[in-house]
Amino acid sequence: MSIWPEERLSHADTEGFHTVDMTINVGPQHPATHGVFRMVLTVDGELVTACEPYIGYLHRGLEKLSEINDYRQAMAFWDRTDYLAGLLCEQAYCMAVEKLADIEVPERAEYIRVMLSELSRINSHFMFLGAFGADVGSFGTSFTYAWRERERIYDLLEEVAGDRMFPTYYRPGGVAMDLPENFEKRCREVLGHIFQGIDDLDGLLTGNEIFVERCRALSPLTTERAINLGVTGPVLRSTGLAWDLRKAEPYSIYPQVKFDIPVGLRGDVFDRYMVRLAEMYQSARIVEQCLEQIPGGHFLNPKLPRNLRIDDAEAYVRIEGTKGEYGVHAVAKGGNRPYRMKLRSPSFCNLSALSEMVVGHYVADAIIILGSLDIVLGEVDK
Amino acid sequence: MNGASPLPFGDVFFGWSWLDAIIRIVIVVLIMTVVVVYLTYGERKVVARIQQRLGPNRVGPWGLLQGFADAIKLLIKEDIRPRAADRWVFEFAPFLTFIPVLMVLAALPFARDWGVRNVTLGLLFVNAALGLNIVGIMMAGLGSGNKYALLGGVRAAAQMISYEIPLVISIICVAMVAGTLDLNAIAILQEDRPFLLLQPLAFVIFFTAMLSELHRAPFDIPVAESEIVGGYFVEYSGIRWSMFQLTEYASLWAFSIFGSVVFLGGWEFPMGSDWGWGWQLFLTFVKSLAWIIAVMWVRTTVPRLRIDQLMSFCWKVLLPMSLVQLLMNGFILVYDWPQELLTLTSGIGAAALVGFILYRTARHPSVAHLVGAYKRAGAQAQ
Amino acid sequence: MSEEKATLPPLAATIKKALPRAAYVPGLTKTDLDLRVAPAELLVLVQGLKDNPALDFDYLRNMTGIDMQENGLELKYHLYSFKHGHTVQITVATPPGESHLPTLTGLYAAANWHEREAAEMFGFVFDGHPDPRNLLLEEDLRIHPLLKAHPLQPIEVVQGIEDGKAGFDF
Repeated sequence: MSIWPEERLSHADTEGFHTVDMTINVGPQHPATHGVFRMVLTVDGELVTACEPYIGYLHRGLEKLSEINDYRQAMAFWDRTDYLAGLLCEQAYCMAVEKLADIEVPERAEYIRVMLSELSRINSHFMFLGAFGADVGSFGTSFTYAWRERERIYDLLEEVAGDRMFPTYYRPGGVAMDLPENFEKRCREVLGHIFQGIDDLDGLLTGNEIFVERCRALSPLTTERAINLGVTGPVLRSTGLAWDLRKAEPYSIYPQVKFDIPVGLRGDVFDRYMVRLAEMYQSARIVEQCLEQIPGGHFLNPKLPRNLRIDDAEAYVRIEGTKGEYGVHAVAKGGNRPYRMKLRSPSFCNLSALSEMVVGHYVADAIIILGSLDIVLGEVDK
Repeated sequence: MNGASPLPFGDVFFGWSWLDAIIRIVIVVLIMTVVVVYLTYGERKVVARIQQRLGPNRVGPWGLLQGFADAIKLLIKEDIRPRAADRWVFEFAPFLTFIPVLMVLAALPFARDWGVRNVTLGLLFVNAALGLNIVGIMMAGLGSGNKYALLGGVRAAAQMISYEIPLVISIICVAMVAGTLDLNAIAILQEDRPFLLLQPLAFVIFFTAMLSELHRAPFDIPVAESEIVGGYFVEYSGIRWSMFQLTEYASLWAFSIFGSVVFLGGWEFPMGSDWGWGWQLFLTFVKSLAWIIAVMWVRTTVPRLRIDQLMSFCWKVLLPMSLVQLLMNGFILVYDWPQELLTLTSGIGAAALVGFILYRTARHPSVAHLVGAYKRAGAQAQ
Repeated sequence: MSEEKATLPPLAATIKKALPRAAYVPGLTKTDLDLRVAPAELLVLVQGLKDNPALDFDYLRNMTGIDMQENGLELKYHLYSFKHGHTVQITVATPPGESHLPTLTGLYAAANWHEREAAEMFGFVFDGHPDPRNLLLEEDLRIHPLLKAHPLQPIEVVQGIEDGKAGFDF
């Protein structure tokens, strides 16, 4: 005798019963979205069949704000785009303004910029390693390991620029003030800790069978597809293409320092992780060389106008940000304010590839793939 | 009282066995509460130590009262029930997860002849009771009306049912060697050597499966913080949430005492019977503490497995290995071969299991080599 | 005109040779070669730039909308070739009121979000776009905040620094 009524049973093998895919809303508040990002996953059991990203929760109207402030004021907003490496964004912005107004930058300022920007890059990649380890599930241990080193870099930045995350230290035409006297000694000290920190994280994550097994051969991306999707930075390099704007379209003093471009072999999540890890060594190498080569002289172009007014001009300046090609498209039409400032944000473009990359993987892997793109929501949402 | 037991408990308090039982239960529950409070504190301290943090250090000397502060906070928090939840299923789920742990505690010997009850079939009873845990978890997952909770509940069901099998088989292996299911008798049989030496393979399997039963990393996918935000108890708050927390730590404690009785000699090894109950309690304490710290250590350093990797590890590695152990034991015991052979065969098995995992780790190129390879690949591409 | 031609980078000649029949006006920005085309010619030109092996522009770097006020809207594309390492900027001007453009999503998957952003910020309409919803702004917001004329413009003028006064001292 069944506990179910007869008619209920007879329904079981007709079209009365059917399965529906479940949608899971990941975010905007979710530990794995690294900020306010939301994606709606359609899952069949544990497998993702569709992914719809929703962004814009952190949209602050950066481009509009740049239009209504003058050239020097607007720079403070650009720190807040890639807030893990604010100085790189400042660098791009200043380079754009310098390009528009044909301002010369003293060599010492270029060296200072490159040094601090590379430290910021290391900082951002540390954040990636820590957060990615937490995504894979190492319970925050990688996070605190990474944070220890980030704290040292932040302290150094504070000594130089007076602020940790958003220094607003660069100026069109140089930097705001000269380096402190003991900078070289302090920087070498921090670099020593950085190497130790990279090795620690390397041992904790890469040396772990489960970590490697989770990341290996996960969501591989071909170079052609990556290019078509507009993916740049470490994610593109992990597919095997050694394309780094510091070498491909050299700017600042990068031609004068030696460094390699780490590339991946298969374009999977593990390669993205590995490329970033190897890039940190290269960035530290650049800083070391800069410390040796840095010349004396002005840190700020002394012949700058008090009020920066730029006539009709247009420039698309791009630098290698931490996440990829960080481009600033600046248009001037007279006056002391930009007519248009457009940010080509690498996280934005990398994130647009997400929905294609996670389909067919497990929910747990979707989180890791998102983590491997290393997005910064301030940069995505502008 | 069970007169047929080889080691009947003496009625140390009164002649009335029911009153005696109640007093014992009260004592055990009180001890359990204190233990749980200090386990949460201890876990935070251990994890903090591994993650280079300080951990709780504000409430009381060295933060020793932190657990009580947390408990009070949880008790006076609002008990929220989501509108979508199934009322009775939702509200009873925490208690149904907790009751099995209490049942287990009733059967564990803490010192010679001292537990709530000496269950003659203690081994079987403990396993049966621990298997009941899943009912409450499934109820919490289904009753919460939350998709994360549902995923967590279903994951927990799949995982716990799978890992129950190697767990029980590894226990059966010990029971074969001991020839009894009585936990006190098992402890006494380990007078001169713990069963760990006779059954290392069973020990490894037991420890692994136990981690899974406890939802501890690397098997914490039902409660995966970075994926499904806590899993089945995501919707609980206040006292009901603290019931889940209580269950987690109480079952960790129960498992550690159970494991130390079965594999490490419990209160008996070494010199338990000779040196009196104080020494026995001390042995129980030290062994369970070591066991718990090992679990916490694993938790902080190992990332999470994916669900398919978890399942294949259970069905393709742990289950066959536990069956091999069972078979070897059977041959050796039936033909009455010397006990050293047990150590030898099981040791070889354990070495094979650990070696298999180590081999898979070592199969990947070494870390330094890998980073070097990525550097070189980049250099060539230039 | 002849002077301007002389300053154009060699890429201009390459494009002229590879796509002799394309209708565009070459120009120069501070950084890149600029090709100005009519909206109707855009798809043909981009297709040519992408498919021609001598040019091989396989990467859409950026897309910038600009409000030219009385002259309508302009959209600027930046294309890059990984093979040859050159960049070109394409400018499309649309007359006021009818900012229809063909979508490039068929050629570059990257164009999807760029176009959604340009559409919501400036009011471009990309014909044939697979997913023309707002991306960064609220789903039902129908104002275009990056236009020079927008509902909050009076406040903007008050907040902004009037032209002529000095900026901050540094």
